[in-house]
Parts: sequence; structure tokens; C-alpha cells
Amino acid sequence: MSDQEIIEQLKQGSEAAFRKLVESHQKLVVNTCFGMVHNREDAEDIAQDVFIEVYRSIQQFRADSKLSTWLYRIAVNRSLNHIRDNKKHKWFQSFEKDEEAKSRQLFQVESSAADNPGYEMENKQRAAILYGAINSLPENQKVAFTLNKYEDLSYQEISEVMEMSVSSVESLLFRAKKNLQKKLYQCYKKKCM
Amino acid sequence: MKCKAAHSKLIFFLERELPEPEMKAVQEHLAVCPDCALFAEEMKRTLSILETEKVSEVNPYFYTRVKAKLDRPSEIQLSGIRSSVLVRVLQPVAFSIVLILGVYGGVKMGATGAKTGSAFTAEQEMVPYLNEMDVEPLETFLME
Ligand SMILES: [Zn+2]
Repeated sequence: MSDQEIIEQLKQGSEAAFRKLVESHQKLVVNTCFGMVHNREDAEDIAQDVFIEVYRSIQQFRADSKLSTWLYRIAVNRSLNHIRDNKKHKWFQSFEKDEEAKSRQLFQVESSAADNPGYEMENKQRAAILYGAINSLPENQKVAFTLNKYEDLSYQEISEVMEMSVSSVESLLFRAKKNLQKKLYQCYKKKCM
Repeated sequence: MKCKAAHSKLIFFLERELPEPEMKAVQEHLAVCPDCALFAEEMKRTLSILETEKVSEVNPYFYTRVKAKLDRPSEIQLSGIRSSVLVRVLQPVAFSIVLILGVYGGVKMGATGAKTGSAFTAEQEMVPYLNEMDVEPLETFLME
């Protein structure tokens, strides 16, 4: 079944078509969300909501646009909302003891790294450093970087998802990499590895 | 090539995004500069995490969970409605309060003979204050 056929049937309320859509695009959506939030459990949770949004708003989907572009866009927006909500949450929790927050953070890093079997201590540390650096990027740079690195999207495809010109995407990715290099160098100098 | 120049291009070198002559120049620098070479190696290893972290296997229960969420009286929809009601109702209310306060403040200040300009600054300062401190937490509290 092509994307076009899936959408047609989904518009007529076919549950089989919805299942097909979820199964064929699940990896794309989960991976994108994971690239944004760096936690497997949260990524799957957000991805579920992405598909529910697709199911509920399928009538508004225009036949001339690409299904994957639409999915990426919803996945990115929902991930960004999740990150913003988390930040708000953290602000409310900022009265908690520092120790508690620290141990929870450590646990989060460990649990997200432990999802991957065969992870060594060194890789866990590297992952934590890398995620820290990626998370410190401005939103737009982070989105472009995630779509490029986690989903191997071309500049053209990223420009469609983000609704901006290809040259803007180029510049976002250039700045994202510069910033990452800077963060990683600061870390290297402090011998945090 | 000097350390500084090589350094600023390292990530693009690792990504093989430099023009050929620059790729060569960085490569040559790394061959003679252990300091830059060490950092390049570190960064390469850290960036390689991206490859290993990609989601390779799919969760077999994923669809079942989506379906279960879909069939449940939806939290997503409810919270969506609630927050949009809040935004639609509370935001104008907050703005009206700001406006009234601003006008009142202006009248007050005018009456006490203050400079006319100060009414403006009072209003400008109050808008973000009311928006962030009153509307935001209320919304968040109600959603939880
Ligand atoms: Zn050097």
C-alpha cells in the first residue's frame, strides 16, 4: 500500500490503514523524537501522541504534501513542547533539594544509556556529554541537526519540514556544528572525559 | 596551518565537509600536532555515539499502545481544550486588567502631576508581568 492509498483509506476511517501507517512510520517518528529528547521512554510516548494527532487531523492533510514531511513536523513540534513543559516543570521543582535533582539526573542518563545493550561506562559518559551539548543548542539548530543526524534527511528535506530555505538550513547546521565543537572542546579542556 | 585554524575546522573535517585542499591541510596538521590530533580523536568518538544511539529495533507493542491511547477518553484532547479555553478566556481578561490598570495609573499620575511619559512605562512593565506570573502558573496548575 502506498502512502497515498493509506491516506485515502484512513480518511474513510479504515483502522487497518491506520495500523499500516503506524507500523510503516513508527521508526521514523520514534527516532526523530529520540533525537530531540534523548530518552527512549519519553520518545515512544511522544511518538504515540504524534500518531493520534495524525489520526484525528487526517482530514486536513493535503494530498499534495508528503506524508513523511507532515510526520516529521508533528514529531518535532510535539518534542519541542515536551522539552518546554519539562523546563517549566523544572522551574517548579527548583525548590527541591539539589541532591535529589542531581541523583535524578544521573538516573536519567543511566536509564537512557542502559536501553542499549553492551554499553560501556565510557560510552555512557560520552552520550551524556553529547546530549548535554546538543540540548544546549538553540531550538532551530537542534531540530535541523536532529533531522540531519538521526534521520539522515537532506538539506532540501529539512527545509520542507522546517518551512525555510535550503540556505537557512545550511546556516543552521553550520552554526549547530560550530556550537557543538565549542561545547565539546570546553569539556575536553576541563578533562570531563 | 596553525592550531587555531585547524581547530575551528575540526568538526567539518570529521564530517568530511571541507573542500579537498582544506581537508588535506587539516590532515597534515593533525599528523604533526598531537594536541589537536587528540581532541579530534575525542570528538570523533563522542560524535560516533549518534550512530549507535539510533533506534534500530521497533517496539512490537507500539501500535497496541497507540490504539489504547486513542480509545481512551482522551487526555490530549481534554488538555488541549482546557488550555485553549484558558488562553482564550484568561488572556483577554489579563489584558483588560492591564489596560484598566494602565488607564487608572495614567489618570492617577496625571492627577498627581507626574510626567505623561511615565504612564506608558508603567503599562509596558505590567504587560509581561501579568502574562507570565498570573496566566502561566494558573494554566499549569489546572492541567496537573
Ligand atoms: Zn594543533
